Amino acid sequence: MSNPAQAVEASSAEEEPSAEEDTPSSLDGGAVERLSEGAPSWLSERRQHAWSVFEDTPLPSTRSEEWRYTDVSRLLKFADLRVAPDGASGEEGTRPAGLTAAMDEDEAAAGHTVVVDGSVVHVDLDPALEQQGVILTSLRAAVHEHGDLLEEWLGTEILPPEDGKFQALNAALWSDGVLLYVPPNVKLDLPIRTTRWISHSGSAVFTRTLIVAEPGSQVSYVEELLSEDFDQRTLASSAVEIIARDGAQVQYVCIQRLGRGVFCQSAQRTLAHRDSKLDTLNVSLGASVTRLDLNARLLGPGAHSELLGLYFGDEDQHFDHCTSQDHIAPDTGSDLLYKGALDDRAQSAFRGMIRVHRGAQRTDAYQTNRNLLLSDDCRANSLPNLEIEADDVKCSHGATVGQLDSEALFYLLSRGLSRHQAERLVVLGFLGEVMARLPLGGVVKKVTRAIERKLKNG
Amino acid sequence: MPENELVEGLGLDEYQYGFVDEETHVFRTRPGLDEDIVREISEHKDEPEWMLEFRLKALKIYESKPMPTWGGDLSHLEATLDEIYFYVKPQEQMERSWDDVPDTIKNTFERLGIPEAEQKLLSGVGAQYESEMVYHSLKEEWSSKGVIFDSIEDGLKNHPDLFREHFATIIPAADNKFAALNSAVWSGGSFLYIPKGVQLDTPLQAYFRVNQERMGQFERTLIILDEGAQAHYIEGCTAPVYSTDSFHSGVIEIVLKKDSRFRYTTIQNWSNNMYNLVTQRAVVNENATMEWLDGNLGSKLTMKYPSCYLVGEGAHGEIMSIAYASDGQHQDTGGKVVHVAPNTTSSITSKSISKGTGRSSYRGLCKVYEGAYNARSNVECDALLINSTSRTDTYPYIEIEGKRATIGHEATVSKIGDTQLFYLMSRGLTKEEAMSLIVRGFIEPIAKQLPLEYAVELNRLIELEMEGSVG
Repeated sequence: MSNPAQAVEASSAEEEPSAEEDTPSSLDGGAVERLSEGAPSWLSERRQHAWSVFEDTPLPSTRSEEWRYTDVSRLLKFADLRVAPDGASGEEGTRPAGLTAAMDEDEAAAGHTVVVDGSVVHVDLDPALEQQGVILTSLRAAVHEHGDLLEEWLGTEILPPEDGKFQALNAALWSDGVLLYVPPNVKLDLPIRTTRWISHSGSAVFTRTLIVAEPGSQVSYVEELLSEDFDQRTLASSAVEIIARDGAQVQYVCIQRLGRGVFCQSAQRTLAHRDSKLDTLNVSLGASVTRLDLNARLLGPGAHSELLGLYFGDEDQHFDHCTSQDHIAPDTGSDLLYKGALDDRAQSAFRGMIRVHRGAQRTDAYQTNRNLLLSDDCRANSLPNLEIEADDVKCSHGATVGQLDSEALFYLLSRGLSRHQAERLVVLGFLGEVMARLPLGGVVKKVTRAIERKLKNG
Repeated sequence: MPENELVEGLGLDEYQYGFVDEETHVFRTRPGLDEDIVREISEHKDEPEWMLEFRLKALKIYESKPMPTWGGDLSHLEATLDEIYFYVKPQEQMERSWDDVPDTIKNTFERLGIPEAEQKLLSGVGAQYESEMVYHSLKEEWSSKGVIFDSIEDGLKNHPDLFREHFATIIPAADNKFAALNSAVWSGGSFLYIPKGVQLDTPLQAYFRVNQERMGQFERTLIILDEGAQAHYIEGCTAPVYSTDSFHSGVIEIVLKKDSRFRYTTIQNWSNNMYNLVTQRAVVNENATMEWLDGNLGSKLTMKYPSCYLVGEGAHGEIMSIAYASDGQHQDTGGKVVHVAPNTTSSITSKSISKGTGRSSYRGLCKVYEGAYNARSNVECDALLINSTSRTDTYPYIEIEGKRATIGHEATVSKIGDTQLFYLMSRGLTKEEAMSLIVRGFIEPIAKQLPLEYAVELNRLIELEMEGSVG
């Protein structure tokens, strides 16, 4: 399917001064062509289709409801971004210090993956689990080894390119990612841990994660996103698709501690089937701009999802969390809690939607967003929405924006703490409530430490 | 008995105001809208040149603005607007005595109970029929104290300076597409001025009636409360039921000066073929209090979000909203509070009931600007769903700058609980009685604020009908 125009573009990119392997190339049809080389036809067709959707989709505008609070035209220039050089070409021994430090803090795991600049550079998995049929591998390898699994799920109606401009771009240009497959009734006691690192300022990194938990299985997946601070706008784009089949239990945690300069865009979709439990926790601490689109679908009776999130911003950080809870089957439940603290000139937007579809009777759905404002110049926007088309439901939502609890502060001051110490404790207590709802090995400690570090800087 | 019928037993669905009078207009424009029609309306009103220019400019803005894509379904509105009459003049002049009002029109208002209520309970009455105020009166007691309560046209004629100082300053023509439309073709509405320190002890009422089929009503109201003044204004509206759609788009501007207090009560009971798209806004100065009490029971689609701009320190805004959406109806209502000055407070309470294929949506904004220190706002929305085909939505916008604000929003959605019903029935109530008691209890926090003694039709609709079904 190579068309002449794209071939010309691709060759002109190669003619740039330094014709080395890792010459950064711009985000264009040529990049799609290169990624499709040697790929099965279903995949190159999906990439091509996604690219055409990307080209046909206008840049998100603040005139649209979904992007009301994040002005992409001001915050990101696609033309300035370059595809990141292949991270797999670096040697294993030369891992960046920041990445190693983060991994050293990790507690025990059933398996690890390390992703550098969009390429999986390391995978290990408990051999006992491997024997039971658990698959943990890079998507690049999975394309050849588990093609049928990817073809069934990856970038299908779970997260189609039509969902938005960024989703289309990711579907066209993803370079690598992680596949986790858990066979029926296999239960992992320890989490799978993934650490993702970006090393090039001005680059664009596109990764995907696919987790399939078969009936009766149990798994937790914890990933961490890291980088240095960058001078040039850098794009970290990720797409996460999680399927919990009947009775499966899945926990997904993402701790985002990217450096300043990064525009972190991620789309997450969770599908919870009959009697399954599928929970997510998103911790947003880093990056200059964070945009999360999370959609949780409750597809079978008895399915339940918790959606947890916390964010803490300072300086000019900008957070935009967009969530939706779709109750499609009757007798399902979901509970969302997103809490955030904002200091300096930080801004946040939370836009949540509970949709109870016609016929989804006996739905229990809740949604809470709480914001703590610590400075005169910060800004919080909260849009907790409900759309209910069934009558036998219990739904409620709440949103608050407030300041530090003066009574709590006074109590701590009276116990001899300095104002700064007291404020830090109150903030930690406020955000800590979220993590207490999903206590996973090492996550609470790690996030608490990261928040403390941020509070110290203030 | 199925729950559906039980709720019908409450009487909320019976439309008693769908009767039609014979057409009595003395003039009307041809259907549709263009510059000539705007000029014609202006000519009939014998207006100053600046008003004609204002209208023509607004028409251009209206034409340039796209149809909103949010809120209700407006996809058929464009076609409707091509066919409706934008101006229908029912009689030659406005009267000060009911005896001078033509019999057909007078009978209509008598059937609605207006003259009777006027004698007993009101400080003044304005009645609009089609495009013009046909009757306006104010008790001598108040006119002697300098209160002005007149049609908007007479306000412009007799008090040009006061009028021009405030007109379109609170809701400029460019505010939204329908405010622009109203600015181009406005006709009828009230002009109210309450002087310093004057406090009206009984309400003023304006009544709006559309009789003509395929009619557009565009009333414009300007209300100014001087320092320390107090008043309560009630607005009611009804229309006959036609198979074609009609259109109502009002603009209500209110200025509250220091220490004044005002309540604006709407009892909207348009027939189910009416598009009702209204812009209502109050600017609230130092220590003044504005209360919107918004009851939306009728219409095909209502999009209305009364708002308070709290611009003076210590200003307070309150919005209480009841919406009832039955088969084929969409009530897209709510409120906006904008905190600009320090120590301002506000609250929004919304209660909605959706029945059959009815849909009620709460849409609201709470905005706190930097510098509005110690702003406090609380929003509560409760929705009651009667059938599995009913729908409810909640779309709140909370936008806060700076750390010294305290804002809360809460919403719940529920159906009439079996345990509630069981408990009441175990105490000897029939299912009908229990249902009606629960619905009444649900809306009671707002319903008790309503001026039941004189809001004749709401009295009938909510209180009496429900009492009847219990007793």
